[in-house]
Amino acid sequence: MGELAPFLIIGVTSGSVYGLAAMGLVLTYKTSGVFNFAHGAIAAVAAFAFYELHTVRGLPWPVALLLAVVVLPPVVAVGLERVTRGLAGGTVTTKIVATVGLQLAIVSALIAHYGGAGLSFPRFLPTESVGIVGINVGIDQLISAGVAAAAAVAFFVFFRASPTGTRMRAVVDNPELLSLAGTNPVAVRRWAWLIGTWFAAISGVLLAPQIGLDALLLTLLVVQAYGAAAVGLFASLPLTYAGGLLIGVLAALATNLVAGHQWLAQLPPAMPFVVLFVVLLLVPRHKLVEPGAHASPAPVAPLVSPATARALTVAAIAVAAVLPLLVGPRLPVYASALVFVLIFTSLHLLVRISGQISLAHAGLVAIGAATFAHLATGVGLPWLGAVALAGLVVVPVGMIVAVPAIRLAGLFLALATFGFALLLEKVAYPSDWVFGAQGTLPATRPAGFDSDVAFYYVLLAFTVAGLGLVALITRSRLGRLLRALADSPTTLSTLGLGINVTRITVFGLSALIAGVAGALHAAQSHAASATPFSALQSLTWLAVLVLFGPARGAAPVLAALFLVVAPTYGTSDALTDWMPVVFGLGALLVAVHEAGRAQRHAGGSTAQQGEPSRAAERIGAGSAAAERAERAVSRAGDRPGYRISIGTAREGGR
Amino acid sequence: MTHRVDTEHGADAAAAADTSGLRATELTVRFGGNTAVSGISFTAPRGRVTGLIGPNGAGKTTTFNACSGLLAPSAGRVALFGEDVTARGPARRARLGLGRTFQRMELFDTLTVEENVALGREARLAGSHPLRQVVNPPAQRKAVRAATEDALELCMLGQQRRAIAGSLSTGQRRLVDLARVLAGGFSVLLLDEPSSGLDTAETRRFGEIIGRVVAEHGSGVLLVEHDMALVMDICEHIHVLDFGELVFAGTPSEVRSSETVRAAYLGSEAG
Repeated sequence: MGELAPFLIIGVTSGSVYGLAAMGLVLTYKTSGVFNFAHGAIAAVAAFAFYELHTVRGLPWPVALLLAVVVLPPVVAVGLERVTRGLAGGTVTTKIVATVGLQLAIVSALIAHYGGAGLSFPRFLPTESVGIVGINVGIDQLISAGVAAAAAVAFFVFFRASPTGTRMRAVVDNPELLSLAGTNPVAVRRWAWLIGTWFAAISGVLLAPQIGLDALLLTLLVVQAYGAAAVGLFASLPLTYAGGLLIGVLAALATNLVAGHQWLAQLPPAMPFVVLFVVLLLVPRHKLVEPGAHASPAPVAPLVSPATARALTVAAIAVAAVLPLLVGPRLPVYASALVFVLIFTSLHLLVRISGQISLAHAGLVAIGAATFAHLATGVGLPWLGAVALAGLVVVPVGMIVAVPAIRLAGLFLALATFGFALLLEKVAYPSDWVFGAQGTLPATRPAGFDSDVAFYYVLLAFTVAGLGLVALITRSRLGRLLRALADSPTTLSTLGLGINVTRITVFGLSALIAGVAGALHAAQSHAASATPFSALQSLTWLAVLVLFGPARGAAPVLAALFLVVAPTYGTSDALTDWMPVVFGLGALLVAVHEAGRAQRHAGGSTAQQGEPSRAAERIGAGSAAAERAERAVSRAGDRPGYRISIGTAREGGR
Repeated sequence: MTHRVDTEHGADAAAAADTSGLRATELTVRFGGNTAVSGISFTAPRGRVTGLIGPNGAGKTTTFNACSGLLAPSAGRVALFGEDVTARGPARRARLGLGRTFQRMELFDTLTVEENVALGREARLAGSHPLRQVVNPPAQRKAVRAATEDALELCMLGQQRRAIAGSLSTGQRRLVDLARVLAGGFSVLLLDEPSSGLDTAETRRFGEIIGRVVAEHGSGVLLVEHDMALVMDICEHIHVLDFGELVFAGTPSEVRSSETVRAAYLGSEAG
């Protein structure tokens, strides 16, 4: 035990800050129904605001701290409350894409303005150490842990004792009851967002001195909060805080444990994602209830008629065929774009057609790329065989990603896949057997097609085949089942379909295309490496694809052109740097717009039915709270609609 | 299919002449500390319309969800045609012949009316086999088309077949929901407030459709409905739920004259 004490202390000091961040995340999630993927980005904003005010503008640190941590959050909170209110009626995918878009926009803006390299963060707290049970602990670390713990305690007192806290507790306990209880939902949510944003800001400023001022790193570090939130089952605030401590301690203990085991070196930083993934896989499904889950997408009329769509497809293929004559030295950019059309096609099949969600897509493409490089260059398989096998190898991996999809839907599925993606990135990518000891593997093009022009046509053939395959699937029985799965999986199962089989099938198919795309990506760039496939890329791809969602079948093509080709036509680096900000904000706007449409759509049919409570009749596992709400309301004698029924009975009797 | 097996609880309830439909025995559903449905037993045999009525919050939809496999009951059993399906999922129960509609009309909103109705049959045919979900043999295609046409005609939806389901009025959505479950050819149908949102003519038409389905196919229907005139008109047997408990069961005329039933409704009003 004595040997472990230092790790416990280190774990508790960092875990306390994670716990605080996670509590803010869970509080806003439970009150608004929107899981804020941008929570970490807000922490980064606070840290950068402090840096800007103190280091750049020279304000004394207490003033800068006050402005960054106390004054700034209310502004952010009011904005977030407003945006998430607009998202309330949206599907789970819409909500996820909205905050993922926001995260992308914030992180990219910080990187564009301050540069990607970590700036050194001013250490404003005393850095001397004191000895505790025989080990030296930095005073700043102790203060960090103390501040985080004090904020948590202050919050619990507020939560238990104040009237607002009581209302908030009621909402956290049962969001469905919010509007029925005569409480002003906006006021409660605004408070929740305020506290959530404060907690994010505090954790950002406390974490920055330890890890440096790196927007990406800060954002992802608060992703530790996901793991802590999972320990609290995304519902219990005290358990969430405890989860933060647990993750801190586990990570510290793992550091001790893996010392000397090279291949495990990446385990400690991956600990939160291990916890997240394990909790999501093992906890009984009914314990993970998503507030406001069952929303359907609003039907969208196609932008063009089927005949026009066919004509446009033919025209697009014709343009693609003559492109090498038109674009000159830019051809490799367009060749990469073709690979991305294939990547987006596989994502489109999963997300847009089938209503599933995966934040691990870049991981699948990466495995395709690595497998191809091993098979083509290492083993020496024929080129085409290596591409095909790379695709097939990724299929079971895609099916593993689908395992959470069997138990979980919506947000929890997204988080599980994101946990998987981060595990891949932290544990698999750096190991020798994936991208080699150098971190990059050579990849070849087929004999006779080595030139850029010739290989462009190879890529075009694959892309057209991939698009054709997905078009075929869409028109087939499987396509009908997938589109119905996107609309209402529960109904589909009550009609007799084994929807888990359907889910696994579509994840497998999507993975196949992603794997082939990975192989082609490696061949196009002559190398396979981890750099293009970070977990954050998965988020970017999803955001960009959703941005072009209204274009339906053309979305993968437009998304690829926008992501890969458009930035290269920029005249300055600044434009390229700010592009992801545009993607992120665009995805956010599209998501808010779609949520608005879905809400109007649902509101319209509810009004027609004359039902007073949407909460009352939901189906499936998430209906427990709704059922309780219904009973509570009916016991309160608050539903005049049914009083009539006995009268009708009597009439019928006469 | 009609072979009957006594369940352990079912032996004492064996008085019922025909159990070759849906049978719930001592069904209890709890949500946390709340008991939504408390030890209820009933049957919905084939060849007749069985009513399930009660004030709102009585647990009707919960009962439906437990019968169709969307909720796991805390206690009790559900049997379909003599087979215990308590541990089975909704898809398996559907393939055994149990179909249901939803009070909130869970249509596939982005699909056409025709596709919605066709899926009533196609989902069942596709089942849980990966190949069957992908391959659509001509014989099945024909069967799906025939079932779809019949159901569309029965529910008078021929005009709307190409319309996107999400764009329809509530009355039409009810009919699509019904047509979809009819196309499935289920032996027992659970219909959750099928007439709410329908106008008088549509309600009458709905009553006729149910009558035909029961008479021609020998299907059994379990009906949750608030239009008492309709319930009294088409149900042979009615179960009355209040606060999760079965307070009365009998013929329409018995229900009509029952003080217990009246008290249940009035009590709910006063409470």
